[in-house]
Order: sequence, then C-alpha cells, then structure tokens
Amino acid sequence: MSKDSQMRAAINQKLIEMGERERLKELLRAKLVECGWKDQLKAHCKDVIREKGLEHVTVEDLVTEVTPKGRALVPDSVKKELLQRIRAFLAQHATL
Amino acid sequence: MKMEDMPLSGPDNTKLEALVHDIYSELVEDACLGLCFEVHRAVKQGYFFLDETDQESMKEFEIVDQPGVDIFGQVYNQWKNKECECPNCKRLIAASRFAPHLEKCLGMGRNSSRIASRRLASNNNTSKSESDQEDNDDLNDNDWSYGAEKKAKKRKSDKSQNSPRRSKSLKHKNGELGSSISAEAYKYSYNTGISYETLGPDEVRSLLTTQCGVISEHTKKMCTRSQRCPQHTDEQRRAVRVFLLGPSAPLLPSADTAVDNDSFDIPDGQTLLSRLQWEDSPDISPTDSASSKASTNHSDSRRPKKKKRTSLCLNSGGGGGGGGSLSGSSSSQSNISLVTKKKRPKVSAPSISSIYDDLN
Repeated sequence: MSKDSQMRAAINQKLIEMGERERLKELLRAKLVECGWKDQLKAHCKDVIREKGLEHVTVEDLVTEVTPKGRALVPDSVKKELLQRIRAFLAQHATL
Repeated sequence: MKMEDMPLSGPDNTKLEALVHDIYSELVEDACLGLCFEVHRAVKQGYFFLDETDQESMKEFEIVDQPGVDIFGQVYNQWKNKECECPNCKRLIAASRFAPHLEKCLGMGRNSSRIASRRLASNNNTSKSESDQEDNDDLNDNDWSYGAEKKAKKRKSDKSQNSPRRSKSLKHKNGELGSSISAEAYKYSYNTGISYETLGPDEVRSLLTTQCGVISEHTKKMCTRSQRCPQHTDEQRRAVRVFLLGPSAPLLPSADTAVDNDSFDIPDGQTLLSRLQWEDSPDISPTDSASSKASTNHSDSRRPKKKKRTSLCLNSGGGGGGGGSLSGSSSSQSNISLVTKKKRPKVSAPSISSIYDDLN
C-alpha cells in the first residue's frame, strides 16, 4: 500500500516535471470546449446559481454541484484519447 | 524513489489501469474546478448573465429563415422598384437613373452645369430628352465663343508682355501723358532683363555705367535697375563689373556720380526741368524696365527723365505718332523706342541688337 502511494507520487511528479500534465490539461480543455461540454456545464451553473440566489453562491457550492455532472458529461472519445495519452506517457517512462 | 525502479509494466496491469484512470479523473476535476472558478468570478463581477435576455425579445429578434423573406422577416424589394429623391430638385428618380440625373442636376461633370441651372431657373416640366438636346446645342455654341474670346485675350496679353519695345514705348508715353497710364505701363514693364552674352563690349560698358547690372543666378539676365537698386549689394555689382570688364573695371560709382552721369548726356538745366516734370507723376517709373517693382526710389526715377526728353524731340522730328494713345499701333511705338535706344542702350537685349543694326 505504501509502495503504491509512493509510486503514485512519483508518477505525478514525473508528469509535472516533464510538463506532460500541463499539456494534457490544455488538450482536455480544448477538447471539452470543442464538444460543448463547457457550455453544458455553464448552463447547469446558471440553474444552480438561480436556485441559490446570485448573492449567495460560493465556489464550494458550484464545485459540489458541477463536478459530478462534469465528470459524467465528458464525451467518450475525449476520455479515450486522454487515457491513451496517459498510458503512452507511463509506458515511455516506465521502461527507462 | 525513482520511477524507473517501479515495476510498472509488470504483471499487475490492472493496477496500472487504475493509475491511468486516477490521473484522468484528476485532470477532469481540474477542468471542472477551473470552470467553477470562472463562473464564480463572472457571477461576482456581474457579467455572468449579461448575454441573457428575456424570452420575448429573443423571439422578437429571432432570425427568420424562410424563402422570399430576408433575415428580419421583411419582404425583399426588387431594386428596380426603388426610387430616390434628388436632394437638389426634389424629384423622384428611378434608382437606375439617379446617378446620371444627379450629375446633371448638381452640375458636376461635363456640360451639365448650365443645363442644370437653366433647367432649375426655368423649372419647366417639358420632356427631358427634348430639352436636353436643345441645351446641349446651346452650350456648345457658348463654349466655342467663350473659349475663343479667352484665347484671343490671352494671346494679346502675351504679346504685350513679351515685347520689350512695347514696354519701352509705353514708358515714353507715360512720361508724356502723365500718371494715368503709368499703372498700366508698370504692368508691362516688369521682369525683362538683359542677357549679357548678346551684348558687345561697348554695350556692356555703357550698361554698367548706368545700371546695376548684377547677373541673376536664375535667369542669367542682368539687372536693369539703377546702380543703387536695393535688390543687389555693392559687392555684387563690383563683382559683375570685374567679371565683364576685367580687373581694370571702374569702381562702382557712388550715388553722386550717378547723378553726374545724368548730366553727362544732357545739359543740366534740361535735366532739372525734366526731372521736375517727371517727379510730378507720382507713379513708378517704368523706364527701369526690368523688375521695376522696387524702382520707386528717386535715383531710379532720374534716368527716365533723360530718355523721355530725348524721345520727345526725336519723335517730333520723326513725325511718328509718339504721343498717341496707349493702344496705338505697334509700329509707331517701336519707332519711338528705337530712337531712344540709340541714345541710351539700356533696356532688354533684343532692342539693343536692333539698335546696332540701325547704327550700321
């Protein structure tokens, strides 16, 4: 278990060090905007905000409301592409 | 701990898959969090709902997508049905005829101004093509005569400006007839000047004893004003004399000697007399033919006296109509000028050469 978490930390560090994490993030953002995910979530945000009232909205509220929906709404194609890239990165650097 | 030590590609492929999914969900959550921050900021800054309008107005301004109607739902007008109101004559003109009409109406373009003004003046509603035809004919006639008149005028003035003889003779008449003509004479007498290359040494010498004679850089002509002309300096005059007459050239005469020069030719009494006579006429002496703009000073006006006197007696001898009107025949004028120039070759080059011919 400790070994597992150690490995996780090492991989994360490697991702950040190589700049791959940043690249993946940018790619995901672009893809999500492209497929309308962002607009869908924004619409959802609007509903949430109307419910709570404009003045009383907090970031925590938004996050709790939006994140599950956001996760669900990611198109399969985008998800697959991203997983593929992560796998490729791990394979490339694990064999070193 | 190094990543390379990990047994990543080992047998536990499921573990690796789980890792990959974790990373993925982390990334998605990041994106969600970013969006949340963005939205929250927009809400707090007050621009989150800016692009929202109420449903009614959205419907009202919906883009219409139907055949035969433009995007605003209006029926499309054929351009040929359009009529424009002329801003000038307030008539309705078909759009296709508007530009030609405007050209005529506003008086831009060829031939149109008088047509338009006439039409406006008469304000008649006769059939268009007919009136157009008429006007055009009229116009052509007008143009022709007008242009011819103008040309003739121009030719005349050109001649009088270019002929030094004429200007010279005018001067004499000026002296005789008084100040009434002098303004006109002045007009004609400016800016001749002498090109020194055409003169013989004697002529140059005599010129330089009586005139400024500085050679202009631009026109290569000699200044024909008096030796004290304000446009040139004494240094310039001296330099010209050295250049034309050699280093032994006489020094520039002073103002006093200039006066003496006058009495050189003419008996003193007469000079005085004529001077008085001359100074009665207040205007510029045109005798200083070239660039007489500045010739209002007195030293300038001294020379004309002599000339005038000589021309007078010679004229009477020759029987020419010396005292004739300004528009007198050019032959008599040239006669006069020749006579005077014999005495004093002072003016422009062509007349001087003609004197030479006379003498020979």
